[in-house]
This record gives sequence, structure tokens and C-alpha cells, in this order.
Amino acid sequence: MLAAILAAGLAVGATYALIGITYNLMFSASRVMSFTAGQLGMAGGVLGALFIARLGLPVIPGFILALAGCALIGVVTEYVAVRPVLKALDQHLYVLSTLGLALMIQQFTAIEWSTEPQPFPRLLGLSTTGPWDEKFWLPILACAVAVGGLEYLYRHTLIGRAFLAIAEDNFAARALGLPERNLRIASFALAGVVGGLAGFASGELLLAFFANGAMLNFLGFVPVALGGLGNNRGAVIGGLALGLFQQAANFIVGGVFASVAVFTVFILVLLLRPQGLFGAPVARRV
Amino acid sequence: MTRVVPYLALFGAALLLPLFSNDYWAVIGARAAVYWILVGGLNLVVGFGGQLAIGYVALLTLGAYTASVMVARYDLNPFLSYGAAGVVGAIAGVIVGLPALRLRTFYFAMTTLGFATIVTQVALAWQSVTGGGIGLSGPALPAPFDSQWGFYLLAVALAALVTRLSANVAHSRFGRSLVAIRDAEVAAEAVGIAKPRLLATVFLFSGACAGVAGGLFATLQSYITPEAFSFDLSVTFFIAILVGGRGSILGPLIGNIILTLLPEFAAPLVAWSTFLYAALLLAIVLAMPGGIAALLDFRNRRPLPANRSIVPQPLRIAGHGTARGAIELKNVVLAFGGVRAIDGLDMTIRPGEVHGLIGPNGSGKTTTLNVISGYYAPQQGEAFLGTTPLPHGAPQARAALGIARTFQTPRLIGEASVLDNVMIGATIEGRASFLESVLCLPRHRADEKRLKARAMDALATVGLDALADVRADRLQHSELRFMEIARGLILNPAFILLDEPAAGLSGEEIKRLGELIKAMAQQGIGVLLVEHHADLIFDICDRVTVLNLGRELAAGTPADIRAHKEVVSAYLGA
Amino acid sequence: MPTSAPEPLLTVAGLTAGYGKIGVLHGVDMTIAPGEIVALLGPNGAGKTTLLRAISGLLPWTGQARFAGQNLAGVSPRDAARRGLVHVIEGHRVFTQLSVADNLLLAGYDLPARDRAQRVEEALSYFPEIAAKRADKGGALSGGQQQMLAVAQGLVRRPKLLMLDEPSAGLSPVLVDRVLSVAAALRTNGTAVLLVEQLIEKALGLADRVYAMAQGKMVLEATTSEANLPHRLEQAYFGQDAVPALG
Repeated sequence: MLAAILAAGLAVGATYALIGITYNLMFSASRVMSFTAGQLGMAGGVLGALFIARLGLPVIPGFILALAGCALIGVVTEYVAVRPVLKALDQHLYVLSTLGLALMIQQFTAIEWSTEPQPFPRLLGLSTTGPWDEKFWLPILACAVAVGGLEYLYRHTLIGRAFLAIAEDNFAARALGLPERNLRIASFALAGVVGGLAGFASGELLLAFFANGAMLNFLGFVPVALGGLGNNRGAVIGGLALGLFQQAANFIVGGVFASVAVFTVFILVLLLRPQGLFGAPVARRV
Repeated sequence: MTRVVPYLALFGAALLLPLFSNDYWAVIGARAAVYWILVGGLNLVVGFGGQLAIGYVALLTLGAYTASVMVARYDLNPFLSYGAAGVVGAIAGVIVGLPALRLRTFYFAMTTLGFATIVTQVALAWQSVTGGGIGLSGPALPAPFDSQWGFYLLAVALAALVTRLSANVAHSRFGRSLVAIRDAEVAAEAVGIAKPRLLATVFLFSGACAGVAGGLFATLQSYITPEAFSFDLSVTFFIAILVGGRGSILGPLIGNIILTLLPEFAAPLVAWSTFLYAALLLAIVLAMPGGIAALLDFRNRRPLPANRSIVPQPLRIAGHGTARGAIELKNVVLAFGGVRAIDGLDMTIRPGEVHGLIGPNGSGKTTTLNVISGYYAPQQGEAFLGTTPLPHGAPQARAALGIARTFQTPRLIGEASVLDNVMIGATIEGRASFLESVLCLPRHRADEKRLKARAMDALATVGLDALADVRADRLQHSELRFMEIARGLILNPAFILLDEPAAGLSGEEIKRLGELIKAMAQQGIGVLLVEHHADLIFDICDRVTVLNLGRELAAGTPADIRAHKEVVSAYLGA
Repeated sequence: MPTSAPEPLLTVAGLTAGYGKIGVLHGVDMTIAPGEIVALLGPNGAGKTTLLRAISGLLPWTGQARFAGQNLAGVSPRDAARRGLVHVIEGHRVFTQLSVADNLLLAGYDLPARDRAQRVEEALSYFPEIAAKRADKGGALSGGQQQMLAVAQGLVRRPKLLMLDEPSAGLSPVLVDRVLSVAAALRTNGTAVLLVEQLIEKALGLADRVYAMAQGKMVLEATTSEANLPHRLEQAYFGQDAVPALG
């Protein structure tokens, strides 16, 4: 039973962490928190089920196509909902534009795919069951791969360093002659891949369901709020902690009150430490 | 009076609806009215206050279940049950809203979204009370409200009431303060607006509206289950406001009607309605941020005279009644990180004097101004007004002490009129309480009349009275600088702190500004002038302090300073 | 303009720019010849930084500007840097999370990969102080070292014109001399330098020519050898006699 809580908690936690990283990737490139982050996770699951279960593609091409589709959604987010409002003085326009786009993605999926959860194919078809079932360790593996991949990108490639440069000081990066706009598009595509990976890897656990978008939007944001904006390590720790807490509460007090508990903790952390548990306070602006 | 014509037309048409249509339209019409009771209150939060509360369906849910449970289980009178729903809605509204005091935009939106999810889940799980997924019946009304048209007319009457009440708030100092918090939060603090109290009051009001709307919604549905309160509904409310236009009542009212009726006229699109609303939201944000209200704002489409000039009438300045002595800084030290922005500064700004503060970039001029106006708390030393210490880090307490200020970059409410922008400056002088303003009682009306007259005076003083009704974002940069001075003068301040008022002004305008500043001092106002224009400083100041690296490099009359070798070399960097 | 070469490297005429509604530059003219050092002076808020930002494409502008025979209209900072017009912005804003070497590699983002390492070494050769710290994070450097790194970032591009915005701000006098000495060294390579400085005497000691701005306009242009220069500068800064003279 403890093993079940651990397996399920780490699995959903890893998924939340990946969505948190998706938020961070978009934020670092543009200072925009996008409501499409959770929808990317939803799209990863739905596209995976579409390509593999409905259209009958083998797992590998289906996987690649699903991620490519999500990368495209990421790029569309940048073009449609982020770039036009970046120049606006009004700082909260992006909340509205990304909310509008996120709702469009969600409703389109509900109508064209299904309003009911659809099964997600068994990817490996291994015969292990219980806590060692693939549906539990696939999201954890995906999270580890994503974190490792990003670490490699940031430490060992020039484009990764350019991402870091833009995140730290966009103006200085522009003055230095970095192709800031292209890098931002690339960041959004990468965010799409990570978000899609979250949804694809957790597909067997969360199914291909249009409402997962809103759920992941919130639960994927909690790790960001806990870990501090733009802090991927914080998002992973926060995500796993959230997953374990949620599953434990689920088991002890039941599903509904687990949601209440998660929400309460979230609000308390935000109110007591708005900059996150690992973030530094932000200076005033007069 | 033309302002009320569109409302009379809309509600007049609503009263005529029963004569022309069947019962089906009574239900649709009642739904639009019930939604408006919620949206009309929410409009103050979202459209005026700029708080992105996207999960207001939670309050509708709470109101609906409160009313239904009260009637079903405790046999309460249905009208009283609406009252109970309003009370629960108001309390929940404050709880949902309070995080807005600490959290910004996206974070706050997320908390309201989370709250909406939770309320639905609790409604589903708490079967003993809510009936869980099976639901329970809503309050049934006695005759004559038990018919479709009877309920319709009740809902329309309440919707009209909410329209009137929310308009009263909008056209009061509370409404203006909300918009100020939304568009110019720093300026709102400087004029003494207490954000926590204001927001709590408005969340209370809009929560009550949402709760009552929930009770009515339960009656309209006659049977409620958690499924009736989808997040789509929440989004519809929110989008109606933004489609209607921020800072307007008529726009969101029309937006609400359109969004409720649209699916009825385009039946094949019903399934796609939320998708279309979302697309509409995106389109509005990208292409027409002003929404319907901007389309209807014919007055501000008329061109302004191109060759207008600002002609202040400095003689109209009213002096400040009670002088409490000078502003005095004693050995003030303030460091950011390791850098000492102010390093042991003593300075005295006397009533009736123009005190210039100059120095190279980074010498601590604006920081000094921010210490006096309360944005920064000094780490050592103290700032006094007369003999009383000025409270640290409390900018909203300065207006009451008669200390006004302007900003390096004008902080304006672009969508409000110039007059409203100036009236903001005297917010603390309003006497009517929120309740009096909501009900438009005599004290509220007296407040409005008095503040308006004083704002017109202040505008005439700085020479902008001809532009009083113009939307502030249509003004030129130099006019905005003078508008900010008017916002300070309406307070009849004892001191006014001007942060680079001449930046971006033409030579002629600088001259007029100089005369205006001198006239302010002659009326007994103490002026602190932070400026780069050395000629202006030397021309009008009684006293000049030169800062370098956070310390006083020299102080004295302009003539002293002009002859001071070190000043010249500090400027020339030798 | 006595020392101007017949074919200027940079020509700016009637340039107007600002931030949104706020006009900062009102028709600025300036020329810079290849290989000369030009100091740009003026009191706070005169528009010096804005002028540099407009020239390098960080801010939109109207008017005329040509660099090395090509029009600068609509040119992004990236394109400007490719053409050899490099802007080192104020406030030594290096990337604190990245190593010194990575900061420099990023400056060469557009260069062919095989040239990058060599260009980085070349830039570091001007600043042995930071060459020793190439593995350290930018944030671990002192303010003066960060400024050197910022200048070195500009040098990676082998600019034809290097625009330095207040490279001395916040530095000790010794470090100021150290940073400015590099400008002198660049001149011998034929690189032109446009130097915005608060330390007027240092700037004049280094420059061939000087411009001064006030209130968004050029109010003075002179060679640094001109005898009456200190007095004219004082007028430009304090405005009293200068304003009527300039009409």
C-alpha cells in the first residue's frame, strides 16, 4: 500500500513537475506565464492516443508525431498569444491572450476528440503489474530524461547558454546581437516538447482526456509556485512533493478532500512566500 | 443625462419583451438577467479593479447551494434564502479575493481557478447536504413569481438594481480608486488609497451580488447538480466583461446580453460556443483592447486641437491651511545591497520655498524623494514633518499629511478622463462611506460636487481645464506632466515633490512650469524640485542641494552653487 | 570637421527617437570617421544613451543613419553587430549565471563555430585580468572585471565601431584607466570608438573629437585640442549662456 502511494505519487508528481518545467521554459524566454502549459500536457496524451490507438501507428513514430504536434502548439502560442502582447505596457494582457488560446485548444479537443476520457495504448506491453507497472515509471523516466536533457542543453551547447542569457537579461542579450526572437520561438517549441512528453508519458495513468488540460494547468503551476518562477530544480522537487502529498491525502482522507488539502497548502505557500520556497524576493519598482 | 439613455433603452426593451415573445424567451431573458447580477458585481473587480478573477462560478455555486439547502432542509422563506446566499457569497468573495492583496495577475487568476475547482468537488462529495451528483431542487417562489414571466420580471428588476448600484460605485471615489489601483498602483499609494480595505469592500459587494445571483440561478434551473456550474460558465462571465470593455458598465452589460443570447440565434454553434468565446477573448485582447465600450466612446474620437498650448493660471492656487513646519531629513542612510544610495543626508525643505535637488546620475536624488514620500524606509536616520517623524515605508500615509508628489514617468490612468485623474488626488478627502456611495446618499453627492469643483480649479491652475473630459492617454507627454501637478494641487498640499517635471517639455513649457512652481511657493507650498535642467533650477530655486554619491556636496542659494568649484567639477566629472 | 576623414564610417542626420510618447532625441546629427575616438558628453537625461540605443537598433528611430556605406534604417542589433557596429550597453550587464568564457562565446553566436574560440582568445588578450578567470561565473567577478568582460564581449565581433556607454560608471580610478586604455589600443588597430562618459577629463584625454548633447540635441562639436573647450563645455552643461547662443 505504501508502495502504491509512492508509485502513484511519484508518477503524477513527475507529470506535474514536467508541466512546471513547461511553464518555466516559456517564462524564461518571454516573462509570460502561459495557460497553454497544461493544455500541452493534455495534447500530448490525446495526440498519442490519436496516432497510436486510433490511427494505428507504431509507438515510436506516434511518439515523435505527438511531440512534434505539441511543439507546433508551443510555437503557435508564441506567435498568437505571446508576441503580440509582449510590447504592450499593460502587463496582464498575456494572462488573457494565453487563457483565450488555452480554452480554444481545450474546446477544440472536447468537440473533435471526445468529452469522455479515452484509453491510452499500452506503450511497452510489459507484464509487470502493481507499483512496478509501466504506467507508474514511464512518467518518472520521462521526467528524468527531460531534466537530464535540459541540463545537457544548458551546460554543453551554445544555444542552451543563449536560452539562459535571454532568461537572465533579455535586453543585454539583444544588445549583444543574439537572435532573441528565434530563440524565443525555439524555447516555446521546446516547452511544447516537454509538455507533450508529460502528457504522453502519463497517458496510461491519466488517459486521453480534454479536461486534463485545466487540471494540469493548476497542478503543474503549484510546483512552479512552490519552487519559484523559472527554477526547474524547484519545479521537480515541488512536483514530486505535490504528487506524494496528493496521493497520500487521497488515500487517507479521500479524493475530494485531497484536492482541498492541495489547494489549501498552495494558497498558504503563496501567501506566506509569494516568491516560492526556493526563490529570492523581488525588489520594488518606484 | 445622455449617460442613462442606453440603460433606459435596454431595460425598457426588457420590460416590453413579455408582450412579444413566448415562455421560452422568458427563461433566456431571465438567464441573461441573473448572469448580469453576477457579472455586474464582478465587473467592479475585473473591469475596474483589474483583478483577474476567472473562477467566479464558485460563488455562483455557493449561492445556489446555500439558497437551495436553506429552503429544502430548513424550510426558509425563498426570498430570505437569497439573502442568506448573498451573505455567504459576500464572505466567500472576500476569502477568494484576499490573495489579490499579495498575488499578481496570473497567480491570482490561478487561485480563483483552483477555488472554483474545489467548490465543485466539495458539492459533489458532500452528499448529505448537497445531494452529491444527484443534486437537489432550487427554491421555488410563491405567486406571482412562480410563472416564467413573473420570475423574469423579478430578475430584470434586480439586474436593473445591480446596474444602478455598481454605477454608483463606479462614479464614486471608490470606483476611481479601483481604476487607479489597476493602472497606476504607485500613484494610488501616493494619493493615500488604502488598497486592502478598498479591495476587501469591493470583493464583499461583488461576492454578495454573485451569491444572490446563485440563489436566483437555482430557482431558474429549478434543480441543481454540480454539473450545472461548469468552468465554461465562469469563463463566459469573465469574457463578457472584457468584450464589453474595462472600466465601463454599459459595455459589459451589452457583452453579457450578447454572450447569453448568441447561442439562441445560432443553434448549430451551441457546441462551439465556448470555443467562440475564447476566440473572441483572444481577438479582443489582440485587436480591440477597449472592447465594446471603446466602440461606443464617440466623444473621444473627436480630434483634439493640434496647436493647443498649456497656459497655467498660477494665481488660482489655494494655499495650505495649516503649516506643520518643515520637512527635515536627519542623517538618513539607505543602502541597496552594498551600495549606499543615500549616505548620511541632512536636508530641510521649508514651506514657501522652492528647494532644488540636483546631482549626477545615481547620486540619490530620486531615492531621497522616495524616502520622503515613504516608498523607502531609511536604515538609519529619520525624516520629520515639523517635529513628528514621518512613518517609514507607508506611502499611503503621506497624502493625509499634505505631502503630494509627481513621478519621473507620469503615472496616469489612461482610460479615465483627465478630470478623473485629477480627482484621484483628493481621494482621502471624500467623506461618504462605501455604503453611502453605493446608495448615492446626499453625502456622496456632496463629495462628488466638491471634488469635481476642486479638480476643475486645479486643472485651470495648471492650464488644462479645456481638456478635462478628454481620455488621459490622448494627451501629449508635456500635458501629462502638468496633469500630475494638478493631481497634487487638488490636495491643497503643504509640500509637493516634483520628480523631473521639466523632462520632455519644450523651452516655452519649461518657462511656464517655472512660473507655476514659483507661484506655488508664494502660496506657502514647500516644493522639492528634482531636475536635470540646470537653468530651471538656478532660475527658480530659493535653495539648492547638490548630491554626489548619496551625500551633500554643496547647499545654498543658486548663486552660491553656481560659483562652487566642486559642483562644477562633479558635474563635469573631473 | 577638421579631422573627419572624407568617407565617414557613421553618419547620423536628423535622428529622432524616444520611448513611447516621450520624445528624447530631437534631430541629432553626428559623424564618426574610421579609427577615431569620439567622446559623447552631456548632462543626465540629455539623450546620450538613447542615441546609442537608436544607432544600434535597440530602439526605433526616424531620420537618417548610415554605417560603412549602408543604410541603418530598420536594422536590428544583430544585423548591426554583423556589420561591425557593436554597442556595449551601460551598467556592465554581463550574464551572471554563465562563465566568463561562455559570456564571450555568446558574443560570437553568429560567428562560424570554428572561429569562435579563437575570437574569444583574441578578446581576452586585451584583458589578462579576466582571462585568468575564464571558468568563473560572470556573477563572481568584481564590477570592474564585469565591465572588462562587457567590453571584451564587444571585441569578439572585431568591430569597426565600438560604442561604449559609460564604461567607467562605478569603477575605481585605476580600473577606469585600465578600461579606457583598451580604447586607445583599439585605435591603433583602426577601430573607431564612440565613448559616452561622465568623467569628462578622462574622456577628453583620450578622444580625438567631442560632441556634447543637452535636452535631446547636439549642442557642441569640437576637436579635443580646441583651447576654449572647457568653457564651452561648461556652458553646454549648465545651459545659461549656451541656450540663447544655440537659439
